[in-house]
Amino acid sequence: MRKWLALLLVVVFVFAVVGCATEDAVVDEGEDVEEVAALRVGMVTDAGTIDDKSFNQGTWEGVLLAGQDFGLETRYLKPGGTTEADYVTEIGNLVDADFKFVVCPGFKFETAIFDVQDRYPDAKFVLIDGYPHAGDWEPVVKENVVSIFFAEHESGFLGGLAAALQLQEGEVAFIGGMEIPAVQKFNWGFQQGVLYANENYSTQVVMNADNFIYQGTFDDVAAGQVLAAAMFDKGVDAIFAAAGGVGIGAINEAKARAATGQAVWIVGVDVDQYAEGIYEGDKSIILTSAMKYIDVAAYDMIKAELDGTFPGGEILMFNAANFGIGIPKENPNLDPEVEALVAEAFAALQAGTLVVSDVQGDLFK
Amino acid sequence: MKKKLIVKKNFLMSLFAVILGLIAGAILMFVTGSNPIEGFYYLFRGGLMNIERIGNSLATATPLIFAGLSVAFAFKTGLFNIGGAGQMLIGGLCATAVGLTFDWPKPILLTVIIIAAMIGGALWGALPGLLKARFNVHEVVATIMMNWIAYWTVFYLVPLYLKGPFLETESQRIPMAASLKVSWLTSLFSGSYINLGIFLAIIFVAITAFILERTTLGYELKAVGYNRDAAEAAGIGVNRNIVLSMAVAGALAGLGGATFYVGFASNMQIGVLPSQGFDGIAVALLGANSPWGVFAAALFFGLLHTGKGFMNAMTAIPPEIADTIIATIIYFAATSVLIERNWDKLNKFRLALRLRKSKQESLEDDSGGEQ
Repeated sequence: MRKWLALLLVVVFVFAVVGCATEDAVVDEGEDVEEVAALRVGMVTDAGTIDDKSFNQGTWEGVLLAGQDFGLETRYLKPGGTTEADYVTEIGNLVDADFKFVVCPGFKFETAIFDVQDRYPDAKFVLIDGYPHAGDWEPVVKENVVSIFFAEHESGFLGGLAAALQLQEGEVAFIGGMEIPAVQKFNWGFQQGVLYANENYSTQVVMNADNFIYQGTFDDVAAGQVLAAAMFDKGVDAIFAAAGGVGIGAINEAKARAATGQAVWIVGVDVDQYAEGIYEGDKSIILTSAMKYIDVAAYDMIKAELDGTFPGGEILMFNAANFGIGIPKENPNLDPEVEALVAEAFAALQAGTLVVSDVQGDLFK
Repeated sequence: MKKKLIVKKNFLMSLFAVILGLIAGAILMFVTGSNPIEGFYYLFRGGLMNIERIGNSLATATPLIFAGLSVAFAFKTGLFNIGGAGQMLIGGLCATAVGLTFDWPKPILLTVIIIAAMIGGALWGALPGLLKARFNVHEVVATIMMNWIAYWTVFYLVPLYLKGPFLETESQRIPMAASLKVSWLTSLFSGSYINLGIFLAIIFVAITAFILERTTLGYELKAVGYNRDAAEAAGIGVNRNIVLSMAVAGALAGLGGATFYVGFASNMQIGVLPSQGFDGIAVALLGANSPWGVFAAALFFGLLHTGKGFMNAMTAIPPEIADTIIATIIYFAATSVLIERNWDKLNKFRLALRLRKSKQESLEDDSGGEQ
C-alpha cells in the first residue's frame, strides 16, 4: 500500500510542477474572459476536417477574416460524430464557453439548430445549406437564427458551361460526395450548363450516365483517385468533382496525369481550387471552379450582427443575382472568349432571362 | 479470498493505467503550449458541470458499455471480436427498421426493437464464430470483413427502404414511440440525451457477470478460453462454445447499436462505421474484461468524450490536439495488460532478490553463529 501512496505523490508532484510553469497565464486568461464583452464567434465543423479545401475551410476562413477585421475571438469545434446529439453537444459547449454566435455549415445541422434555437435563446446561429426543422422538413426559423442557401445549380451551370466551351469537344464526368441536396444541385446545374453549350454554341461535349457518380463520403481521398483514374482511362477529359476530400483525390490523379503530358482537367468546387491543382510551375489542372461564396456569407452575417442588422428568422438565398455564386475572377486555363461567354450567362442569370432548374428532371442522377 | 485479491490487483492496474494516460495527456498539452491543469479542469467540468452534462456523459457511455461487454465476453472464450462496429450497425439497422415500420404501443415496440437488435447482432457475430469453429478462419479477419459487409449493407438498404422524403444519406427520423428516449428521463436530466439504454446497460452488465461467474455455460466458455485442448478433453464442446460466445458477443454489440441509433442518435446515417465498436476494445482492456470493470471504464471514456468539446471551447487547445490527447489517454489506459505483465515480472524479480537476500542473511547468520 505504501508504494501506491508514493506513486500517487509522484503523480501529484508532476502535476504541480507542470502546472506552476504556466499558472500565471491561466490567471490572465481568466481575467480576460470577464472583462471582454465583445462578440465571440464559434463554428462547429460538419463531417470532414477543417482543412477540407472546400466547405468547412471556406466557412472558417470567413469567420477568421471577420475575427481579424473586427477584433473578435474565434474558435471552431469538431464533433465526435455526425449525429444530432453530437452537434447539439458541441454547440452547447461553445455557448457555455460564451461563444454566443455560432456558424454551422451543413444540412446535417438542421435538426440540431431546431433544438438549440429554443435551448439558447440568447445565442445567435447561422445555418448554411439548411433550415431548422423538427425532422419533418417544416421550416421553423426563430429570431436568433438565419438560414442560408446557395444556388449551387447556377454555380454548377456556369462551371459546366465554361468546361464545355473550353473543351469544344470531348467528354465530361461528375464525382459527387454524398448524395445530398447541395451536391445534387451542383451536378444537375453542371449537366444543364454542358447541354446549354451544346445547344447554343454548338460544342460537342458528351456526357455518359455511368460517369456521374456519388462516391458516398466526403473524405475518402483514395476512392476519389481511383474513380478519377477509371474515368480518365475511359476517355473522359474533364471531371467536375463536388466531393470535398474525395475531390482532392480526383485532383491528385489529374495532377499525376498532367505531369506526364496527358490533357486532363478538373472543375473545382465551393472555393477557387486553382492553387490546389498546380502540378508544375504555375500550371494547374483546375479548369475553373464552381464557387459558392461561403466565406462571404459567414463574414456578412458576423458583420450584420455587429451592425445590429442580423437578419434573424430569415431564409436567405445566395445566387447569381446577389453575387453569392460564380466562377473565379481569374481563370488562367480559360480562353478570354470563354470567360466572356460565361460572364454573359452570369448576367442573364442575374437578369432572370436564363433560368437553371434545381431539380433532376430528365438529367442523370 | 484469492479472487478478491485478483479483483483488487486488476483495479489498481487499471487505475495506474488511467493515471499514466492522464500524465501522457498532460505532457502532450504541455508540449503544445497549453496548461494541463486548466485543460483537465475543463475536460472534467465539461463532462460533469451540470445534470445535463452528467446525463450526456452517461448517454455517451451507454453504447461503449455494450461494445466493451461484447469484446470482453468473446475474450473470455479466447476470441478477439473486432467486429463490434459491424454488429452495432446491423443491430441498429434491425432496430431502426422495426421502429420505422411498426406502429405499436411504446412498451411492446421497444421490446421488439431490443429483441430484433439482439438477433441481428447475434447473427453477425455467430457467422465469424461458425467460420472459426468449422474452417478455423481467424475471427479477427472474419469480423473485420463483417464490419465492411455491414457498412455496405446499411449503405444500400437505408436509402432503399428507410430514407425520408428528401435525404438519400440517412433514414427517417425515429418517432418518439420507437425511441429509447423517454420524456421523464430527458426532463429529469434537463434536456440531456440520456435514454433507457443506460438501464439496459446496467441490466446486461449484471446478466453477463452472472453468466460468466455463476453458470455452467460461463464456466465452459471460460474453460475454452483458458485452454482449448484441456476443455475438449474434459468433454466440453469447443466448437459449440466458440459459436455461442461470438453470438452472445454479437448480440451485446447489436444491443449497443440499438441504444446508439434509436437512443442516442435520432436516425441512421449511411457511410459511417460507429467508432464505439472499436473503442469497445479499449474499454474491455481497461476494464480487465470483467463486466463491472467494463462498466466503469466505459463511464470514464464517456466522460472524456463528453468533456472534450468543452475543453476545446474554453482553452486554446485545437480540436485535433484534443482528439490526440483523448486518444493518448485511451491508448495508455488500454495498456493496463502490459503494465500488469511487467508488474508481475517486477514482483518476481523482487521476490527473487528478497529470497537471495534472506538466504544471504541466513548464511551470514549461520557464519556469525560459528564465530
